[in-house]
Amino acid sequence: MVIDVYDPNYLAYDFGPAHPFSPVRLEMLLDLLHELGHPVGPMAPQPVSREDLLTVHSEEYVSAVEEADRGEPVTDPDRFGLGTPDNPVFPGMDQAARYLVGGTLLGAHLLFYDKAQTVIQLGGGMHHAQRDRASGFCVYNDLAVAIRYLLDHGATVAYLDIDVHHGDGVQTIFYDEPSVLTISLHESGQYLFPGTGEVHELGKLHGRGRKLNVPLAPFTEADSYLRAFSAVVPQALAWFRPDFLVVQAGADAHAGDPLADLLLTTQAFETLFQRCLEYADKFCRGRVLFTLGGGYDVHSVPRIWALLYLTIHGHPVASELPASWRQRWQERLGVDLPAAMHDPNPAYPPVPLREEIADHNRSITNRLLDSLMPYWYGSV
Amino acid sequence: MLVRDIMKSPVVVAECDATLASTYSLMREHGIRHVPVVRQGKLVGVVTDRDLRLATSALSTKPFSPKARIEKVMSQPAQTADPLDPVEEAARTMRQLKIGCLPVMSGADLVGIVTGLDLLDALLRLTGVSMPSGRLEVGLPDHPGELARLAAFLAAKQVNIRSILSHADADDRIRLVLRVGTIELKVIAQELRTQGFEVLWPALSPW
Ligand SMILES: [Zn+2]
Repeated sequence: MVIDVYDPNYLAYDFGPAHPFSPVRLEMLLDLLHELGHPVGPMAPQPVSREDLLTVHSEEYVSAVEEADRGEPVTDPDRFGLGTPDNPVFPGMDQAARYLVGGTLLGAHLLFYDKAQTVIQLGGGMHHAQRDRASGFCVYNDLAVAIRYLLDHGATVAYLDIDVHHGDGVQTIFYDEPSVLTISLHESGQYLFPGTGEVHELGKLHGRGRKLNVPLAPFTEADSYLRAFSAVVPQALAWFRPDFLVVQAGADAHAGDPLADLLLTTQAFETLFQRCLEYADKFCRGRVLFTLGGGYDVHSVPRIWALLYLTIHGHPVASELPASWRQRWQERLGVDLPAAMHDPNPAYPPVPLREEIADHNRSITNRLLDSLMPYWYGSV
Repeated sequence: MLVRDIMKSPVVVAECDATLASTYSLMREHGIRHVPVVRQGKLVGVVTDRDLRLATSALSTKPFSPKARIEKVMSQPAQTADPLDPVEEAARTMRQLKIGCLPVMSGADLVGIVTGLDLLDALLRLTGVSMPSGRLEVGLPDHPGELARLAAFLAAKQVNIRSILSHADADDRIRLVLRVGTIELKVIAQELRTQGFEVLWPALSPW
């Protein structure tokens, strides 16, 4: 059984009209699903309690967010990553961020108590938030709070992050934790924010060999991405055998994304989502929680997350987008939107250095697997 | 970055009348390859694991006995560094003399040691990522005020510069690699281009 988690309060997570992390993307998605004949009938979460936040974040940081939210001057906001261009302070920030965490936590709860086999949380995925710091549009780390909840109930969790940016917050919070396997595929931090996520970051102490990073070259295309994904993810899950899988399904690895340079297509995303479900079936009795994440291109993001929703629910994928939806949002945003659900083929002109990029990714993937073998199967 | 920021201290030393065998054990015990040699507390040379191996090798025409004193095989006089020397100065000395370490002297006192590995650590610190940031690479004409213009632009955007590396390229242009604390770097790169900066990364899209 699939349960959708969503609350209208998610739309209040809004850094302002000029900011890329806009709630419009979410509105477009919900409207699109509605028009496609699949209105979301979600379970609504409560905002997360302070106590649950403190399982992941420092007291000092949560207090700083609360103060900033009340409009009080925060001592040294820079230290907490607040009031920066990426994370400007807005009224209601604390509460809105708590709803996002509450939703992901509710998802974990539903999975743990077998109320659902699959949960799609239509928000969250704030993977950059750190223990004591806001970063990269993320205030509270909903993923880490949900994972911590499952750990505290004795479960093991695999975390899979396909956002184009490295899932640094989640990785760091569980860096020495043996019961959490993290796998992040992203554009290499040598180029892209946040700068981490290199192959050699394997975890520490008992967590070693359980934090996996696949840093892909800029302008990596779908074939090369999917090859790396299939080389690493099923093997890691087969070895780790998690009780639960948590997937951060950011949409910013799409070729049209304005903040990064990977070149996935909607077709590639659909394949990725299918594989996530397959792997969940195969390695953790289908128990998987999906969240949204990054994704800043209004042309592609609603289509990608609609594909996520339709795939999870096993609904057929319409080839055309509803004309009324398209017209409404074209008028509202003043942009031209595509008429089809999937990208045209080809979705973009040929990329120079295509073979070199694919070779580089292959060697990165091999290097990762080679360095994991001693931790997984003993010395070779 | 100064030598005192990267040196190891305190230093494991050997007396000049120690034997090759005991010095070898000392190196094994501490997991080190370079040992300053002292006589009455005064630095007189440096002995490395390579010195010991060569001295005792069966391939040598006159191999030393493991019981020989290390002063017979040490390099002397020792080349040293000052704690206040810049790191690059230490690197240049080691590179030019092709040696693997520099004992660090403050006046007459041996206060630390710098090895090739410490220099690699320094390189990692200089080029590494300590805070969430993205890579911005800009080519600047080699005249005064260009870096200031770039820094002023970023300051106006309230974007924090986490680190800067620079080198001159073949066209006498200065290539700057900055790590800047924002996820929205492509947007900033675009604005820099319209301001006339030559932005090398983030790249323009390939089509
Ligand atoms: Zn992202």
